[in-house]
Amino acid sequence: MNNYKIECISLNKQYKGRNVLITAVRDVSLKIEKGEFILLKGRSGAGKSTLINLIGGLIAPTSGKVTIDGFIVNQLNNKSLSNLLLNRVGIVFQGFNLLPTYDIYENIEVALAPRGLSKREIKKLAIPYFERFGLSEMMHLLPEELSTGQQQKVAVIRTLIRQPSIILADEPTASIDDITAGEILELMRNLCNEQNVTIILATHGIVPETIADRMIVMENGKVINQ
Amino acid sequence: MIYIFKELRRHKWRTIFSVTGYALATVFILLILSVADVNKNDSYGVLQSTGTHFIVYIPTEANLCTSNIANGSVFAEGVKTMMLDHDMVRTIRNVEGVKDAAACLQYKMFDGVFQSEVSIAGIDTSSLATRTNVLAPAHVISGRYFSGRPEELLAEESFAAAHDLSPGDTLKIFGGKMIVAGIVNSGIRPVKADFYAPISLVRTILKDRLLCNAPNFDMNIILVEVADARVQDDVITRIRNMMYKFAVSTYNCYQPANRVMSIIDRSSIGLTGLIFLFLVIFSAKTQLTALMERFREIGILKSLGWSDSSLAIHVFLVSLIQSVAGVTAGVLLAFGLIEFLGHLDNPVFSSYSFRLRFGTIPLIYALSLIGAVAAGLYPAIRIFRTKAGDIIRNHM
Repeated sequence: MNNYKIECISLNKQYKGRNVLITAVRDVSLKIEKGEFILLKGRSGAGKSTLINLIGGLIAPTSGKVTIDGFIVNQLNNKSLSNLLLNRVGIVFQGFNLLPTYDIYENIEVALAPRGLSKREIKKLAIPYFERFGLSEMMHLLPEELSTGQQQKVAVIRTLIRQPSIILADEPTASIDDITAGEILELMRNLCNEQNVTIILATHGIVPETIADRMIVMENGKVINQ
Repeated sequence: MIYIFKELRRHKWRTIFSVTGYALATVFILLILSVADVNKNDSYGVLQSTGTHFIVYIPTEANLCTSNIANGSVFAEGVKTMMLDHDMVRTIRNVEGVKDAAACLQYKMFDGVFQSEVSIAGIDTSSLATRTNVLAPAHVISGRYFSGRPEELLAEESFAAAHDLSPGDTLKIFGGKMIVAGIVNSGIRPVKADFYAPISLVRTILKDRLLCNAPNFDMNIILVEVADARVQDDVITRIRNMMYKFAVSTYNCYQPANRVMSIIDRSSIGLTGLIFLFLVIFSAKTQLTALMERFREIGILKSLGWSDSSLAIHVFLVSLIQSVAGVTAGVLLAFGLIEFLGHLDNPVFSSYSFRLRFGTIPLIYALSLIGAVAAGLYPAIRIFRTKAGDIIRNHM
């Protein structure tokens, strides 16, 4: 039985700029219960993406810690972190991060490959998603041959198909038309309701607050409202 | 594994450039080594046999080959010598580093016809050591070399000129009638005489015609040919150690030859080392460039849960496959090119006889693999030490 809980304790992240130290996240502490849908709001540069990456263990905090289900993410060894990313946490990147030389079907395939699934199993899982997002005819195109919105859909599919317990979505609807964006948000909401998936959705745009259970607002790296 | 080949196929041009780079480097290296090898072998062919001969004898004060008929003695290099037993030649032939050894019987006496001292060297005409120490058929400048007929002599050019001798002349000398078969100029040799004859004839002269009194009539000089100028010092030491009374006389031109060969050896080792170092650096650089170009993709895969070890293996295998493919293509290309250049009627290339050094091929594979592994080390370490987000962020 999964009982994930995300907790950030006095989280700080600083980057070295050319001559200055940039603080992207400062002293963030928050708790997220399993199955919660969090809307992480804030302007560009508020620190949302950095916080998403910190929670996902993609970057190490300068100080503080992130725990998922009691495990300190920033202290996990490489193998445990890989397992966490492979089996529990799915991340939708703001810049999509698709592999440019792989067609979009292969982009999905490589996300499932480390799980040891057969080609047939991968296909069985992937086809419904491509159909649902209207990409069935484009499965063998390269990412650069798709529109930005279509690329974003592929990035969303790549995360959803792995059925993670935690979804960290960084502006997942920024480049998609309103109808598809609505569909994605609804899909995420349903995952939350039906499968108890924990979702943190970062956005600086217009996403109805009602979709989320809770809203966290960031400004200049700090959480100003949760 | 399927993703590794997919990766190589997807980055078609990068793979082609990388493999081509390896192939060209391999061709270049094999051609350079081929030329260097041929040059070295040719130089060695000359230098190895430069000055690699010497004579051995035992000097003495007493005349050990006396005769009532002739006032003469066996000698070497102007001094009287002892007689040596024929077993000695076999013993010296078995010394490590000796290529050949032969008997020589040299005698001089006062001759009433020529009114001067006349010397004769009895030689084993079939021996290599004789050709290098005394005389070779090529030294005949008029007339002919020994034909096997009895009573044949060869006269040294200077002596023949002084006494107006010509091929075909019959001389009454050394207690019998002799025919001058030819005139020779053997140049500067350890054994020089006015006349040369087969050793069996000289033995007969001393024993039966001049009725010399000697312990035996086998020889008084041993002619030695060494296998390689580089071991000549060792051979001389070994022979001296056999009998402390031995005098060894050698021209020291083997020493500069030895030094030149050492220089060639060192240059060759240095050149080969540099070439192989270049191969390692080149392969490391090629792979590192290719790997760094796709490091962002590695970061993405890491963020999708690919384990660090599987990504590192991926990196190494991509690197190794390219190096093996490149070296294989290079070896085949070099083989074809060497064959082609060998048959090309071109003055530039026809002066070289290119030969593929098959022995270096495993080394080239090994070193290119080392380069590929070395190239994979840095990215592999970075995979283990860098967070996925940092890789993606730093390789936009």
